[in-house]
Amino acid sequence: MKYRLKSIMSGLVVLFSFFVAVSFSVTPANAETTYQVATDSTFPPFEFANSHNKYVGIDIDLLHAIAKDQGFKVNIKPTSFNAAVQSVQSGQMDGVIAGMSITKEREATFDFSKAYFMSGVVMAAKPNGKITSLNQLRGKRVAVKTGTSGAQYAQSMHKKYGFRIVTFDESNDMYQDVLTGNSAACFEDSPVMKYAIRQGTKLKIYTKPALSGPYGFAVKKGHNQKLLRMFNNGLADLKANGEYARITKHYLGAKGSSDTTSDRTFIGLLKQNKGALLSGFKQTVWLTIVAIFFATLFGVIVGLLGVVPSKFCNGISTTLIYIFRGLPLLVLALFIYTGIPSLTGQKIPAFLAGIITLMFNEGAYIAAFVKGGINAVDDGQMEAARSLGLPFGKAMRRVILPQGIRIMVPSFINQFIITLKDTSILSIIGIIELTQTGKIIIARNLEGFKVWTIVAIIYLIVITLLTWLSNWVQRRVRL
Amino acid sequence: MNTKIKVKVSNLIKNFGDNKVLKGINMEVHDNEVVVVIGPSGSGKSTFLRNLNRLEAPTSGSIVIDDTDIADPKTDINKIRENIGMVFQHFNLFSNLSVSENIMLAPIELKKATKEEAAKQAKELLAQVGLESKYNATVQSLSGGQQQRVAIARALAMNPDVMLFDEPTSALDPEMVGDVLAVMKQLAKQGMTMIVVTHEMGFAKEVADRVVFVEDGNIQEQGTPDEIFNHPKDPRLQSFLDKVLNV
Repeated sequence: MKYRLKSIMSGLVVLFSFFVAVSFSVTPANAETTYQVATDSTFPPFEFANSHNKYVGIDIDLLHAIAKDQGFKVNIKPTSFNAAVQSVQSGQMDGVIAGMSITKEREATFDFSKAYFMSGVVMAAKPNGKITSLNQLRGKRVAVKTGTSGAQYAQSMHKKYGFRIVTFDESNDMYQDVLTGNSAACFEDSPVMKYAIRQGTKLKIYTKPALSGPYGFAVKKGHNQKLLRMFNNGLADLKANGEYARITKHYLGAKGSSDTTSDRTFIGLLKQNKGALLSGFKQTVWLTIVAIFFATLFGVIVGLLGVVPSKFCNGISTTLIYIFRGLPLLVLALFIYTGIPSLTGQKIPAFLAGIITLMFNEGAYIAAFVKGGINAVDDGQMEAARSLGLPFGKAMRRVILPQGIRIMVPSFINQFIITLKDTSILSIIGIIELTQTGKIIIARNLEGFKVWTIVAIIYLIVITLLTWLSNWVQRRVRL
Repeated sequence: MNTKIKVKVSNLIKNFGDNKVLKGINMEVHDNEVVVVIGPSGSGKSTFLRNLNRLEAPTSGSIVIDDTDIADPKTDINKIRENIGMVFQHFNLFSNLSVSENIMLAPIELKKATKEEAAKQAKELLAQVGLESKYNATVQSLSGGQQQRVAIARALAMNPDVMLFDEPTSALDPEMVGDVLAVMKQLAKQGMTMIVVTHEMGFAKEVADRVVFVEDGNIQEQGTPDEIFNHPKDPRLQSFLDKVLNV
């Protein structure tokens, strides 16, 4: 049994390192000329997915134009603003362009390019005229988006004007909070707010841009200086040759890229976004399958470690279950994605970080019920098998496991469904699975209710299929 | 009686933490001998039996079976166990396997037999315990007495030369006890070396070559059934027999 366990373990290690290698090779081989730049996934008009699921916006177009002008390659990766900033800090990504204001605080950890855009924070509220100035905010809630200038502005003003701050990760959630009346107003960068209003958000801007702040492209302090120089040179070129003006006008001019005219019915939304939804759906399914595979492997091994006659192995099993079942999935995901690279300096692709997260978290639950299932088999079964001369491993395999697995099957099916649902949490580290796809679509068209309904139905369909599949397998193997 | 010593237990001590269960047992079992161990509940007789195939590891002392000390942790206990059949109070048939698979599992897994040989042997053993019709039955469909007879057949499939019985009839309905005892008597007649922990005094009187009375972790008295049942010397044995015989 010891040898068998060893070979299973080494098999796992090999498989896993293969997987790591494959995931790493997703980043292009000629990393010298291709820069990895993080951006926010939902910050129109600076970055957002258009109806063809292609990322566009002032930041995106500028960066591509600069890259072309300066002759370098760039791979722009949309994720959440926080994840984008952290991924540069941790060295996961080379730079970040995400409508990021140049601030003193940020200059402590980032080197910024010359400002490429001047923005300012405005207050927007419902157009019914009840809240028209900062003075009317006393005792009210104000919505902001985490890590933005608007949030900073709110922080500096909330004592003076006596309002409370609520923070959101997504602009759309922030607007919705104002629209439903939970918050009296929101603080947002003026171009973003203008774009949202043009897209049909029923809010009105009541203040002049305050805290007018420059947006900059950022790299980790002391790193990627060449990239920074090229950005500055390229920006100067674009301003000189009129390309800069063309790009900003395209998004902010009177006749900008807007899709208010498009069909906003369920069918219409489904049609417009079927590409994005399909790719998000595929990512969710792929994440689920790979995660279930590794979580099951991890869980079964850790569960078995918990029942072998060795105090040491039992201790390892108990500890692993304790740690990974105890950590919230969200914390574990952020820890693995941003924490570990900060410590080791080794980049981890988001997908791999997501799989590791699910493997540990779901695996810990699997380990717990594998252990429980085996322990639930009557001790007499093991004694009888051993008394016939069967070694521990054979007794386990032929007598205990077949009975234990029968006890575990419902828990397995349950855990697989939970794993599928938990993949949605990985949207936090920027994996564009179904939930993140929903957020991105909503960022563009602000149709929260309808898009979430579509996303929810897709989840239900997949879960139904997974349940059928599990039941079918269960019948087939006659457990 | 054959005088070759099959099992020799010397100064066997077993503690569970602070609880001293066996306090230095010495005992010899000869080839073909049937030894019945009796004694009150909690006297240590089941623990004693479970030490003989190391289902419980002895705290100290030696248990020599065919020149091998099984109390020695270096002994390959799996090899020894192949030659020691054990029958449990609660049968412990493998509930994931059919009756015949229960019997065939160990011979096939331990490469003592091919599938065909094991199947043939299973049929013979089932005939021996009077259950040839149950070859393909599930364990769950059997009565307690039938399960225990299958358990005996399963233990015999490895051709052991010693059989340990741990209260084999205690969990049975009274009408089932006779069938199981009949199988055991037949085994004894065939010359199997048997160590039987039981409360069946009738079986002890009729079948035992020697009866051993265990109380308080020690052998208090042993002898032929006649000596033990008709002329008990130890006062604790006398009181024990009073209780179990005059119900």
